[in-house]
Amino acid sequence: MSEEKYADYIEAVLKECPEASPDEIAEAFSKYETEFYIPPQDAMRSVLRRFKSGTSPVGSKAATKQERVTKKVAMLSELSGDDRDIEIEVAIITHNIRDQMIRGEEKQIAFGMLEDNPWEDSGTKTRWDYKDWGPQANLASGSIVRIEGASVNEYNGKMSLNINQSTRIVVLKEGVATTVASNDPIDISTVPKEGYICVVGRVLASRPDQIHRKDGSGSIDVVRGRIADESGTIGFLSWEPFDHEVGTLLKIDGAQVRSFRDTPELNFGRTTKIEVFHDANFSDLDTLADSTSQTISQFRDGSRDVDAVVQITEWARRSFTKDGVEKFLWSGQIADPTGRCRMSAWEELPISESDLPITVRLKAVRVRAWQGIPDVTVDQAAQLEILEKPPWDAELDLTNHAVEVSLPDMVSGASRVGLETTGFIISVREDSGLIRRCTECRRVLRDGACADHGANEGNEDVRLRLVVDDDGASAAVLVNKEATLKVLGLSLEQMHSAIEEHGDLGFVQQVRESLLGRRIKASGRSIVDDQGAMLLADGLEIIERDAQLRATELRALWGWV
Amino acid sequence: MQRPRVARQPAFLLLASEFGSATLNEKGSGEYDPSFVITKLGAKVNRVIVAGLLERLEMRETSNGSTLFQGQLRDPTGLHYFSVGDYNSEMMRELSNQWSERTELGEPILLMMTAKTRWYQTDEGAVYTSLRPEEACEISRDVYANWLLDACQSTMMRMKALTASLELEPTMEAYQRSELPEGMKQGLLASRNHYEEVDLEPFNLHLMQALDIAEGRIEAATTPPPVVRLPDGGGDPSADSDDALDSCILQVIQHFDQGEGVDFETVLKNAAAQGFIREHAESALERMTDGGTIQEPRFGWFRVVSSPEE
Repeated sequence: MSEEKYADYIEAVLKECPEASPDEIAEAFSKYETEFYIPPQDAMRSVLRRFKSGTSPVGSKAATKQERVTKKVAMLSELSGDDRDIEIEVAIITHNIRDQMIRGEEKQIAFGMLEDNPWEDSGTKTRWDYKDWGPQANLASGSIVRIEGASVNEYNGKMSLNINQSTRIVVLKEGVATTVASNDPIDISTVPKEGYICVVGRVLASRPDQIHRKDGSGSIDVVRGRIADESGTIGFLSWEPFDHEVGTLLKIDGAQVRSFRDTPELNFGRTTKIEVFHDANFSDLDTLADSTSQTISQFRDGSRDVDAVVQITEWARRSFTKDGVEKFLWSGQIADPTGRCRMSAWEELPISESDLPITVRLKAVRVRAWQGIPDVTVDQAAQLEILEKPPWDAELDLTNHAVEVSLPDMVSGASRVGLETTGFIISVREDSGLIRRCTECRRVLRDGACADHGANEGNEDVRLRLVVDDDGASAAVLVNKEATLKVLGLSLEQMHSAIEEHGDLGFVQQVRESLLGRRIKASGRSIVDDQGAMLLADGLEIIERDAQLRATELRALWGWV
Repeated sequence: MQRPRVARQPAFLLLASEFGSATLNEKGSGEYDPSFVITKLGAKVNRVIVAGLLERLEMRETSNGSTLFQGQLRDPTGLHYFSVGDYNSEMMRELSNQWSERTELGEPILLMMTAKTRWYQTDEGAVYTSLRPEEACEISRDVYANWLLDACQSTMMRMKALTASLELEPTMEAYQRSELPEGMKQGLLASRNHYEEVDLEPFNLHLMQALDIAEGRIEAATTPPPVVRLPDGGGDPSADSDDALDSCILQVIQHFDQGEGVDFETVLKNAAAQGFIREHAESALERMTDGGTIQEPRFGWFRVVSSPEE
């Protein structure tokens, strides 16, 4: 039947392999087309190979590329006056920009001082001057950078570095821009993690506090509080007397932003200018207080004075002994439509387990985080107000509610519980499958031993270790035992026998065949830190898709018929 | 020394024609800086996930006595070249061994593969791209069809971003301010500075073909067969005679020309598929255009002026 259709191709094959049977050739083409989606012109080479033996085309040899020789040093003292292409990591101490006439052209250049050995707190540090002829936009004082391709200048025995346009500056740690306190107020929601800024906001809370010096030499009186504008709120710490009442609208110029854990905070000091501001249109206290309520997805480690409406889904009393006295701590799970997290209280709250789930308004609570997961601390029962019903759809079951978060958002966001994300499986790691965990600490044993607790039998566990990418973001995904067996469609016994039959690696390869390149949906909790993002998944499913339907949709999307 | 860990490079879904036509690369000078290939559509790729028919996989001995597998993976838009060597995992090498034996017997194998991108430059300055697989496995045709669609979708997004980027001033500032996808900005700008005007037509054609195949509409994707002399696998490219190359190019153009001429990529791809060295074909094409046997009605598209007597 298909012989006619492939006549031209068969002829071409016959030219090369006169002994081959046209029927068989036709059959081969038909097989490629119907079983593998390979059209005959693409299958040509493979079909030819089948009907012919002995092939050995010659590949071309790759020319080895000459790498440029860069002198990499850790310390400035390792450099000599004639080094032309050097690489070093330094802290930028000062950075000044000035205009200079160069060959009749006015040009901006930057100069300043840099210091080597930037990562250690102590130790020998050497400072050199540098000149930046670029000037490079990403140099700023206070930053730590890797300078690649700078040259050394020696003049009258004094060494300095020349940074050119071709020099690459890799910022390893952001610095503070040199410009101090512009007079333009910025939105509180856009306050950077560090720097000097100006804001206009209303005082939401203010209370005197004391900071005890660590060396025991006394304490400092400070004022802590919170200010808000329409874009958000931020905590402040005033080292100077601060007696503005709650509700006062202030313009604060030259406040220093410092970050405690993940939370920026304003510091008012001697150079900060605080004045009462007049703006009849500025939102009043009630409006601001309402709009400053946060959702669980916005909780950040180290936040204080956080207001939120949440649902308590689990609540239990725990006891512990401190200094021989038995003490109590209450803790449980809370949720809102944006996510879930833990909550702890140091006082008994008017909640009994039979009331759950119960909706509450939290006022001025603290947020800490454990393994990146926010944990709300309630110090006094008065910080909690029980609400009749949630402000969201009361039918929503938050106990197992997973919030859909795109992979890029998950990777760039804070750690959180109860999320669901999608992406492509890029890697199935070889340590997927059966593992043994340390009987003491549950860590995975390597060669039958735990790094901390030495050799032990371990307890058997099952997991998948995957890498999932989507839209330019990448995350490690660890899938737990139940979800692993479910997605592979295996019972534990079947898995054991598959591993017995094919070996650990052979089994992993089988897993790859069913997962690699597939689009998946995974749910669980995320841990995001400077090692990257990780999803501890208790659910994993391959998204089944209909190729026909999708092709039609894509055509429509692109405007073809 | 404490140092921020270099983030894992995300994988791009790339069709062979986009990767194969890339000639730009970027590598920081630091020891651990990743190396990238930047495609015409502005994808700055260090890692890819690709799929296709394993068309060739051969083991060869290198000069230092280790073994190296060289292979080709075909998708509807062209070929990926890859190699598996001692640096690969035991598993990857074992699989290569099995697959190479099965390919030798003419068994069709559809593969999914994640790989690192590689590139090298010849003394003449031509840049070639290739892949170094990390993981690979056999897949069914349904998985292949869905991957093709994912790759098409991803390619479309890049074409859209590229088109949008052309409205902007070619500066990083302008790109930063724009609404282009964050991860594309650097690649798009680098692509714009390096490649001459990017013609999206071949990409459109390739997408249509890939969609047809994913949809199972092979008929529509089938172009007239090249009834030219096909390479015997042992053909020695160094023995290319100008005549053979010229006639190959002429025939390719005649066969694929449906009135508008044939695009540069198709000509070179077909010449390469028939065993000619790509750069030789490139210069032959240029010589024939200059000599008047072939005309270039618009940039990058070729047609035969006077059919040679056969």
